[in-house]
Amino acid sequence: MRRTAVATLDEGAAAGRVARWHRALLVLAGLGGLLCLAALFGQSNRTRLAFAYLWGYAFVWTVVLGCLFFVALQHLTRSVWSVGIRRLAEAFCAPAGWLAVGFVPLAMLALRPGEVPLFPWADARYVAGDHLLEAKHAYLNVPFFLVRAALFFGAWAAFARFYVHRSLAMDRDADGRRALALRKWSAPFMLVFAATVTFAGVDWLMSLSPRWFSTIFGVYVFAGMVPASLAVLTLVTLALRRLDLLERDLVTDDHLYSLGALLFAFTCFWAYIAFSQYMLIWYANVPEESFYIFQRVTGRWAGVSVALALMRFAVPFLLLLSRSAKTNPRRLVIVSVLILVGQLLDLYWLVFPELHHEGPALGWQELGPPLLLTAVLGMLVLRFGRRHPLTALGDPLVSEARHFHL
Amino acid sequence: MAELPTCTASARPEEADAGKRVVESEAPSRTLGAIGLYDDVNTLLAAAARIRKAGVRKWDCHTPYPVHGLDRAMGLADSRIPYVTLGFGFLGLLVAIALTGGLSVFQYPIRIGGKPLFSWPAFVPIYFELFVLFAALATMASVVFFCRLGRWHSPLHDSGVMAAITRDRFAIVLYDHEEGHSQEELRRLLAETGCRDIRPLIEFVESEEHA
Repeated sequence: MRRTAVATLDEGAAAGRVARWHRALLVLAGLGGLLCLAALFGQSNRTRLAFAYLWGYAFVWTVVLGCLFFVALQHLTRSVWSVGIRRLAEAFCAPAGWLAVGFVPLAMLALRPGEVPLFPWADARYVAGDHLLEAKHAYLNVPFFLVRAALFFGAWAAFARFYVHRSLAMDRDADGRRALALRKWSAPFMLVFAATVTFAGVDWLMSLSPRWFSTIFGVYVFAGMVPASLAVLTLVTLALRRLDLLERDLVTDDHLYSLGALLFAFTCFWAYIAFSQYMLIWYANVPEESFYIFQRVTGRWAGVSVALALMRFAVPFLLLLSRSAKTNPRRLVIVSVLILVGQLLDLYWLVFPELHHEGPALGWQELGPPLLLTAVLGMLVLRFGRRHPLTALGDPLVSEARHFHL
Repeated sequence: MAELPTCTASARPEEADAGKRVVESEAPSRTLGAIGLYDDVNTLLAAAARIRKAGVRKWDCHTPYPVHGLDRAMGLADSRIPYVTLGFGFLGLLVAIALTGGLSVFQYPIRIGGKPLFSWPAFVPIYFELFVLFAALATMASVVFFCRLGRWHSPLHDSGVMAAITRDRFAIVLYDHEEGHSQEELRRLLAETGCRDIRPLIEFVESEEHA
């Protein structure tokens, strides 16, 4: 008799542990919420809070969207190795609709630009007389910004719902034709995903410095997003495998190797894109482009740039280089944590130089939003895991996945 | 992997011919070991695991296509070729640094765009390319070297099994003859693994008279 996966998080032997996770997330969310509330008092605190909210929101956004990309990629390529862990990625896609709720404070900041200079282009007084900003006004204006955001959220929520619901429906009826529809729609999804992530990255992260130009910025956001979500997936997979909540034949060392190899590949991809952006701007040395990089590689921000290169590329690259490292759980956990902290640092590097011009600063005012939003995402994912099976056993590729060998 | 069809050796006239040709051959030969031919992958995998436990040191498997899990069944250690790849990659990196640095600092010291003579970020693409080029060529060469490719001849030809193992049969070849195992011992070992078609591994020798 084959050992099958337990149905949901609550039905496993680890139900007590899951309840503890939930309590821990609740405490973190509460702590983050209190810090956010406290930071609402005082103009300086409020400004720092606004930038920190964008920071935390971008982190959660990249993890969710990266998982959505992962699910679509697996369908599109008809991947066999990932069938046993695809549900875990789906659990992170399921809350995609909540991203719109989380965006409300940012929309309010764009609508009331006088209070906090988060999106400086939203302020007519700031734009007036500046030729570059007046020229960019056709794109960078508040109504269009909000319409675009609504389109992004609509597309993401619709696709997330499509992938998650069809996959759950396959659990019940094992109808393999659903997998064909999922694969077919993954191709148009990739086009929608590429466009929405590019424009969302430009709108939410690049527009903080509205005079800047970089045509590679959308890819840069994508290149940071995918390793971050793969790192989250790796951590969740290893944790659940350790608790024996995943079917052993579906998550063997060969499956784990594939995940590790993908993580390794996207670590290199990030370095490739990040360096491409840096080198072209450094080489051409055009003032409209180079001020952004100059701000970040000189003075006290230089240390953050170096740390970024080490944490997101050099160290993970060396740690994951050998074949055995990609199946070594300890090594994978270290690399995943490093990459996740690296993603937080990357977004910090994008957002905060626009506020703390002289150098990086991290106080309690900055910690509230990342804590709150990450904990809320964790709770939403946990809720999904307690309600739905942890493995997509209705997928037509499951038996093939049990015999997956490198 | 459990439902692969099994067919017997006797159903193949061309195979019998190949065996006969060897037997009828007049050429003088010497015996190097024993060949066990298997008809399906599962028997081969089980047999490989047994041979490994029996402690035979010089042996190999020959299959018409890559068999998943065979390296594990044989207990093969991880390949050391990646170290060659990495080493030559770093050699390529050093060559690239020397090439670009030497040219732009010593041979043609031209200041461009107000940048230092040794502007390494501009050369990173070259570092990368030469790293990859050296690593790839060295990997290719070391695979050829360690697999001893480029030989025109193998005892498997003389033994008359090459057609079978490049088409539809799987072989375990024991070369342990010189290390104290007799032909009978090797044959008994193969028979214990369930092999029904055991042949001697022979190599034709050019005798003085022929030369």
